[in-house]
This record gives sequence, C-alpha cells and structure tokens, in this order.
Amino acid sequence: MKSKLILALLLAAGANSAFADRIDDIKKDGVLRVAAFDSNPPFGFLDAQTRQINGLDVDVARHIASKLGVKLELVPTNPANRIPLLVSGKADLIAANFTVTPDRAKQVDFSLPYFASGQQFIARKGSLQKPDQLAGLRVGADKGTTQEITLRDKYPATKVVSYDDTPLAFAALRNGNVNAITQDGSKLAALLANAPDKDKFEIAPFTLTREYQAIGLPKGEARLQKLVNDVLLSLEKNGEAQKIYDRWFGPSTKAPLPRDFKIGDKV
Amino acid sequence: MSPPAWLGYDWLAPRFIGWMLEGVVQTAWLSLLVCVAASVLGIVLAALQPSRLRWPVNGWLAAHRYTPLLVQLLLWYFGVASLLPEGAMLWLNAPHAFGPLTWPSFEFLAAFIALTLYSSAFIAGEVEAGLRGVPAGQYAAAHALGMRPWQVLRHIVLPQALRLVYRPLLGQYLAVIKNTSLTMAIGVAELSYRSRQVETETLLTFQAFAVATLLYLLLVLGTQLAGVRLQTAQRGYGDA
Repeated sequence: MKSKLILALLLAAGANSAFADRIDDIKKDGVLRVAAFDSNPPFGFLDAQTRQINGLDVDVARHIASKLGVKLELVPTNPANRIPLLVSGKADLIAANFTVTPDRAKQVDFSLPYFASGQQFIARKGSLQKPDQLAGLRVGADKGTTQEITLRDKYPATKVVSYDDTPLAFAALRNGNVNAITQDGSKLAALLANAPDKDKFEIAPFTLTREYQAIGLPKGEARLQKLVNDVLLSLEKNGEAQKIYDRWFGPSTKAPLPRDFKIGDKV
Repeated sequence: MSPPAWLGYDWLAPRFIGWMLEGVVQTAWLSLLVCVAASVLGIVLAALQPSRLRWPVNGWLAAHRYTPLLVQLLLWYFGVASLLPEGAMLWLNAPHAFGPLTWPSFEFLAAFIALTLYSSAFIAGEVEAGLRGVPAGQYAAAHALGMRPWQVLRHIVLPQALRLVYRPLLGQYLAVIKNTSLTMAIGVAELSYRSRQVETETLLTFQAFAVATLLYLLLVLGTQLAGVRLQTAQRGYGDA
C-alpha cells in the first residue's frame, strides 16, 4: 500500500519533470519553496524575536534563492514529512538537516553534502587529539546507542563504560570517572554549552563515523541539481560557507563545534 | 546453548553467551565481597545496639534502610566522586597493581561500598534479633566465668545468635545477589549490564533478558541450596 503510494507519487513527479523543467517553473513563479525545520536549532528554528524561520539550513537556502533571482519561501517541516512535501511538489527543495542515505536516494536526489555530523568525543582540553589515543582510555557512552557498538568494534582496547543517558555520562566525565564521552557532535556541543566548567573540556577534533547532510531535490531535476551544487561550491570558495558555519557553530556561539568538513570534501 | 532450530527463533551466538558468563562472574564476585563485608559490619552495628552509641547507630541504620539503593549507588558514584579532589579521582580511576592483585575500577569500588552499607543495615537487624533470642542466662554465665564483653559475644552469644537467624540471614545474602543488578546504573559490567549490552548488539531482546533471568535463577537458587545444605551439615555436626 505504502510502496504503491510512493510509486504513484514518483510517477507523478517523473511525469512532471518530463513536461517542464523545475527551474523554469521556479523562475516563472518568482518563488523558491524550501522545506526547512522550524524546531531544530541551529539548523532550522522559529526565531522568537523575528518570528521567522532561521538557521544554518536557511542561510544556505537563501543563497540558492538569490542565485535563481527569486524570493525564498520556507515551508515548515519535520523529519517525517520532508520527503512527502518534496515528492508531492509542495516544496522545490529540502534544506532540513537532511541526512544522505541509500534508502532516501530511491525517492529523492541529493546535492553535494554541505554539512557533516558524526560520532565525536568530549575530553579534557588537549588530552584527546587523535583516534589512536582512544586505546586504553575509559570512555563513557549512552546505553543502547550505535556509538557504544562502534567504539567496541573499532577500538577494542578502549574501556567503554555505558550510562543511562548523555548527561549522566557527562557527569562521570566531569567527576573524572571516565577520560572522555562519546555522542553525536552537535549533541555534545549543546551539552558542553550548558556546563558550568566548560573551560576545562573540549570536543576532540576528529570524527569516528560520518553522516552527511545535503539538499534534497526532486528526482530527475538535473539542471536544478547542478545549480544547487554550483551554489554550494561557490559558497565554500568565497568563504561564505565558513561564515555561515561560524554563525551557528563558531567559537563565539553558545555551542561551538570545530569545523572538520568542507563542501566538496565528499561527492 | 545449541540453537533449537525447531523453535524457529534466532539464538544468541556463543560470543554473547560468553559476555553473559563474564557478567555472572562479576555478579558473583561482587556479591561475595559484599556479603562478607556487610556481615562483619552488620555484626558490629548489631553489637553496638545496647551501647551508648545506640542513637547514632539507629540513625545510620535508618538512613540506609529507608532510602532506595539506586539513589545510594548514584550518591557514591556520582555524588561523592564530585567532592573528591581531582588527584584522588585520577588515582582511583587509573589501573594499579599490588603484586598479583589489581585495584578495582571505580565503578566496582563505589558499588561495593554502597551495597555493603545498604546490606549491612539489614543484616544488622537480623543479627540483633538473633542476639535478643539468646537467653539472658547465657550472658550471665559467661560473665560469671570472667569473660570480657567481647569474649562473651565472640565465643558464647554470637554463635548461638547466628544459628537462630541463619535462614533470614541467608535471605539477605540472596537479596544482595539480586541487588547487584542495580549497579548497572553506574556502569558495573555485571550480569544485567551485560544482558543489556547483548540486547543492544543483537536486537534479540527476549533471548538476551531470558538468558539473564535464567542465569540469575541458577545463581540465587544455587546459593540457597548450598546455604541450606551447609546448615544441615552443621546441625549434624553440632548434635553429635
């Protein structure tokens, strides 16, 4: 049933692209409709002051709209309805911390990744610089997570101590019970931001596993895909990508996270 | 643990059964140490009951009996640890060897302390009941023989008292084995922690927790049977 529906939607989208190029439609309407999160800071969230959706994804979308020479219209979305919005034609693009996966690639096309996240570590400043140093360390993880499994499989010499949740693991790190804790990088950054003694700790400058976030596009829109990719690459080239990153994750933000991925690193 | 194919279910691979057995060893070892230490402490606390220290001792017992064990574990592992100086924590969390013995992990140490204090409060209650059950004439006779108070306790009263409350004491020891499962909250790799780990890795939820249940049952039942048999053997000896 579900797959039939998706098939029907795919056919509809396919038929659509056969008749007219999406870029022409967007230019004709003068509006680029982008599905963005409205409650997932700092990627996309409703700004309490301006009452507008703002965030890292929105900054990227804004550049795509200006390259097309059209107005940007944000369509609020959540993880569950991102793809339906795109496939049904209610949005032209997805810019909502959208992770590239093989399953999704069956339904949508992806741009080049413009953001990368993954399993990272918090440790005492300067104590953890390279993955090799993990051997022999005591590392706190969350019970039942893939991070726990990855660490055990890839670094058997690391002593993994699992806690009920990330704040408890962080308490163990602050006490000195473990030498480091591991979680998704952006989650660690948010955790560290609220710690009273955050000056003692840092996020280690490496990532164990990688997940890539990209712009989601309707299937078969080669011209639109190329345009989006060109915009992304030029953002990296002219330094604008770094500026956007620093606005949300830079050293002066509440939850700083070192940037170790550049647009174009992963094709 | 060979796969019963007719069930049509996936079974746990030997590697994961191995993890569980490591958990059993950890559970048994922690239980044993706690039972020994808590017995010693429980006897001391019970013996102090008639003394002038009665009220502080009662307060101490109440604090450990009437608060949840999980909170006490968290207090020792997270709470007390945050009060210790950084150097002390560094030492406690680093590996140390004393000849063939190795210093335990801080998780194990905190679990041992919290469980011992908690269990000793209950054991003290049982021992106290036993001491009350020994006829007053036994105390008087021992005193009349010129024994010092601790000699009276050690040689005359305590052996009788412990025999009186042997079964309830055994029950406390079985409770210790089951209570060790709570130490998974502070990262002790005992049987419950291991079963949860196996579940995460294999996604065989029923199998992981069923095997853990079975292993606990064997451990507790085995201890119970051994305890009862020991009592019967002792009785036979004593009566002769």
